[in-house]
Parts: sequence; structure tokens; C-alpha cells
Amino acid sequence: MPVNEKAPVLLNMELGCGLWLMTLRSPIIARAVEPGQFVHMLISGMPDHILRRPFSVYAVDVDKGLLEILYQVVGVGTDHMTTLAQGAECELIGPIGRGWQPFEDTSRALLVGGGVGAAPLFMLAERLVAAGVDVDVVLGARTRAALSTLDHYKMLLAGAEGCTRDKPRTITDDGSSGRKGLCTVLVEEALAEAAEKEAPYDYAAVCGPEPLMRAVASLTATADVPCEVSLEKRMACGVGACLSCVVETIHGKRRACVDGPVFMADEVVWA
Amino acid sequence: MSALAPKKTKVKLAVDLGGLPMHNPVTTASGTFAAGKEYADFVDVAALGAVTTKGVSLNGWEGNASPRIAETPSGMLNSIGLQNPGVQHLVDRELPWLAAQGAQAIVNVSGHSFEEYVAVIEALEAGAAAGTAPVGAYEINVSCPNVDAGGMTMGCHGPSVEKVVSACRAATERPLIVKLTPNVTDITEIARAAESAGADAISLINTLLGMAIDARRRRPLLARVVGGLSGPAVKPVALRCVWECHNAVKLPLLGMGGIVTGTDAVEFMLAGATAVAVGTANFMDPCATVHVIDGIIDYCEEQRVSDVNDLIGALKC
Repeated sequence: MPVNEKAPVLLNMELGCGLWLMTLRSPIIARAVEPGQFVHMLISGMPDHILRRPFSVYAVDVDKGLLEILYQVVGVGTDHMTTLAQGAECELIGPIGRGWQPFEDTSRALLVGGGVGAAPLFMLAERLVAAGVDVDVVLGARTRAALSTLDHYKMLLAGAEGCTRDKPRTITDDGSSGRKGLCTVLVEEALAEAAEKEAPYDYAAVCGPEPLMRAVASLTATADVPCEVSLEKRMACGVGACLSCVVETIHGKRRACVDGPVFMADEVVWA
Repeated sequence: MSALAPKKTKVKLAVDLGGLPMHNPVTTASGTFAAGKEYADFVDVAALGAVTTKGVSLNGWEGNASPRIAETPSGMLNSIGLQNPGVQHLVDRELPWLAAQGAQAIVNVSGHSFEEYVAVIEALEAGAAAGTAPVGAYEINVSCPNVDAGGMTMGCHGPSVEKVVSACRAATERPLIVKLTPNVTDITEIARAAESAGADAISLINTLLGMAIDARRRRPLLARVVGGLSGPAVKPVALRCVWECHNAVKLPLLGMGGIVTGTDAVEFMLAGATAVAVGTANFMDPCATVHVIDGIIDYCEEQRVSDVNDLIGALKC
């Protein structure tokens, strides 16, 4: 059940390449949020911009009641967010939506994060690693400095007993980290390796630019791996009332906010 | 955390909107609150004067292509296109739920033709007669700017408004509220047409037709190019429309357009509104409806107003 919680900003720092990390105190939401769910933020100090902004939750510290949001500066809202310092108070509706729903018997998972899309996958990776799932992570970005979640994933996978690979596969547009190219190259490789070793993935999750999600949806469908995608749409209410954020699915129009943001990839009708 | 209810007060808040008794003057603007269920985690829907439901058509509509909204200075544009699952879903699911909460429903009715408006009301009358889906009043939507037929195309023309209101009037004895568009030369002319056709109240305003452009991409921000502007940006236009209609017709008015605070609501009542609706503000704050009621109470207590009815049309000018 979502709540509307006042959330003071504790930390707001630049990670490079227009990516920022904001830590807010939001104990009720931090305790309740599931991987892939999001919060709808009323950004403090911009009354002329009336709409809230949806942000996936990157990480939580339940004991301290903290919640982290990794955001990319893309417009007036996120640009203003960079000016918020400790003491500013935002307001969050959350947790909202259908998060990642891997199967109970998932044993080998492929997680694909493009750019800032790596953030909403991190809590899922933690959850899967804790459950002993063999997690394979693909991260892509423009350049090394934009792979801001990489260290976090490295730490998680390094200590994970159930994982075949002890670090994420990375790829960048400029080749400054890992291979040079797009995420899909590594996804194709990972799927081919899995087929060769007869150790198929039984779950995939992808978040990033829509062309990436569409491409991975197609690759995993060919490999017969069930895949989930996290979709992003312009949103107004964030509670399922206004029908602004609808997504075309094989079942008709569905709301990205409460029916998603995570959908089974084979249910999405791609534009 | 439980759903928020308004504060207790000795101020008399009850109003009568054309035969619809409301225990306070605040309802929701159609399309911003679905049929209430989505907001039940945040506000006690029974504590509102009424819940005005999302526009409903006979067999349901798909709505428009995405993107459907864009943020604009102090407001937003929408072009949802009255997406709805059809009247039977409202009768079977939503209205019984509202009744079970103890909430009163104003049902917003849409149609592509005169006949469809009547057919929707007939379906609702059947549900109400069965006792399972109570309807407090109807709000006839002749003002949506986002559909090609019905909506605003009907509401800009006095004789069409008279025709649709007369047809709806013949189909129900429940209070009939007609929702007007501000996208006309003279809104009082349309208000008079609704009055002469037997409306019990008028609600205003629906959204203002507008558009927004992404200059770098040289593309419109909405898939349908144009859409309806709402939010604080439209409040001055809405106040002017309420004031003009208050001076032109005898019918009670349901005022809306950019109401965010109790003071905003009071301004509408001073301009002549008997009740008010909170719309876009629900997106800013899911508890906005209750905060507006609390704000009205604060104003009345501070100004020593013992009955909100004393505010209606009390503008000094």
C-alpha cells in the first residue's frame, strides 16, 4: 500500500556524466519497497513545475530508513534536483507498482542495465544473489565514467557464491570500459555461451533505453528465456487514476505506474 | 498510515448543488480521480462532498496515442481522450465500491452522439434502480477537447447543448450538471442554453485547448498535437467564467480550474460557485481534496464565517 511520505534529502552528489545519487530519509517506503518499484517525487522548490517525477529505487538501508535514487539530468526537474542540499525536503509517494517478479525456481538470471537503467536492477540482483541464483550482469554506458553502478555490482558479485561470473560484463560506446559497442552485443554473447554450455538462463530482466529493451526482448524470446522489462512513460498521478502513462500490451492498454513499470517483455507491443 | 479525513469544525459546510446534497462543497474534477479507489490509500473518499467519476461512454473508448501529457508552466496539458472501459464496468464495479465506502457519486457522462449520452444514463439508471450502483447526480460532459465527436464539438454550440441536455433531462430525474468548455466566445450563452434545457447545475471549466512544442526536435509534445490545459495556470480564466455565469444564470455552479488550496476554493465560491472540484492538484498531492476542505474550514474560522453558503457570490464588486 503506497504512502505519501515527507522525505528530507540527506546527501546529493554528482557521480559524473550527468549522473547523481540522492539519499533521502523515507523509512516507511524504504521498509516496504520491492525491487523494481518506484517512488513519485514532489521535488522541493519548483512550484511552477507542478508534476511529480517518478524514480526507481536504487538501494535502501532499512535500518536507517534511507532510500537512494540514481538519477540522470535530462530536464528541468532533474536539473533542479542537483541544486538540492541536505535539509531540502521532498515528498514521495511509494512504493508504487509491479516490480521485478522472477520465478520462485529461477536458478540462472541475466540482468541487463543500459545507462541509468542499471539502477532499478540492483535490488533485484541483491535479492537473487541472496537466494543463491547464478546472476549474470551486463552493464552498458556511453563511457567508463558513466558506469556509476559498476563498483556496487562488482562488490555484490565478488562475494556471491552461487554466481559463475564474479563480475559484470561491461561495454561502452567508446570502449573505455570493457568492450566497445552496445549492450546487445554482450547479451548475444551471454546467450550463445549459455547455449554452448547447456546452462540456459531461466530468467532475464532489462532496463534502459527503449530500443535496448526491445532488442533484448527479441534476443531472449529467440533463446526462449522469459524476460521482464521496466518501462518509463510520462506520468501524472502515479497512482493509476489519470491514464497518462499507458503502455500498449497484448492485453490492451495498461498503466505503467500501477500495472507496471515492470512487464513481461512478450506482453509489450513495441512502438 | 490511514486515509486522511478533514478536521472537525463547527462551520456549516453542507451545500445543495441543484438538488444534490453535499456534506461539504468539495468534489473531484472528472478524470483526475478515476472512481476514487486509486486514492483510497490517501484520503477518506466518503469525507468528500462527492466523488466525480472519470468520463464514461457506452461501450468504452481506447483513448488517444501516447505521449498523452506534457508539463507546462504552472500547469499541464493532457490528451487522454476519455479512455474508459464502458458504463457497465462502472455500474458493476466502481459505483458499488463507492457506495460501500459511504461516498456519493457524481457520474460524468460522455458520448459521441446525442443517443449515446442517453444510453449511458439509461444504463446508470438501471444500476441505480437495482440499488447496487447509486448515482447522486450526473455531470454531462459537453466539453472534452480531446475527442473528435461529442465533447467540446457539442459544447461550443448553444442549440447542440440544448438538444443533448433536453435528451438527458428526459432520461433521468436525478440532478443534471452540465460541464462547460471555456473554449467559446461567450460562455454565458452556452450556460443559458443548458439552463433553458432543464439543467440543475453547471460545472466549469473543462480544460483550455493548448499545445506545447519541443523546439529542438521540432515536434509537438503530445501525440495528438493539441490537448487540454489544466492546473494553477488556468485559475484566472476559470474564475472569470464562474463569475460571468453567476451573473447570467440562476443555476448553482460547480467551479473548478487550478484549485490547489482552500483559499483557491473560497475564491471560486466568492465568484459564485456553490461547490468546487479539485483536479490537477490531486497529481501534485494525493491528499489535495482533504487539504482543500481543511483550508476552507481554516478560512471560515479565521473570517468568522459560520456557514459556507454565506460565501457563494459574496464578491464585493
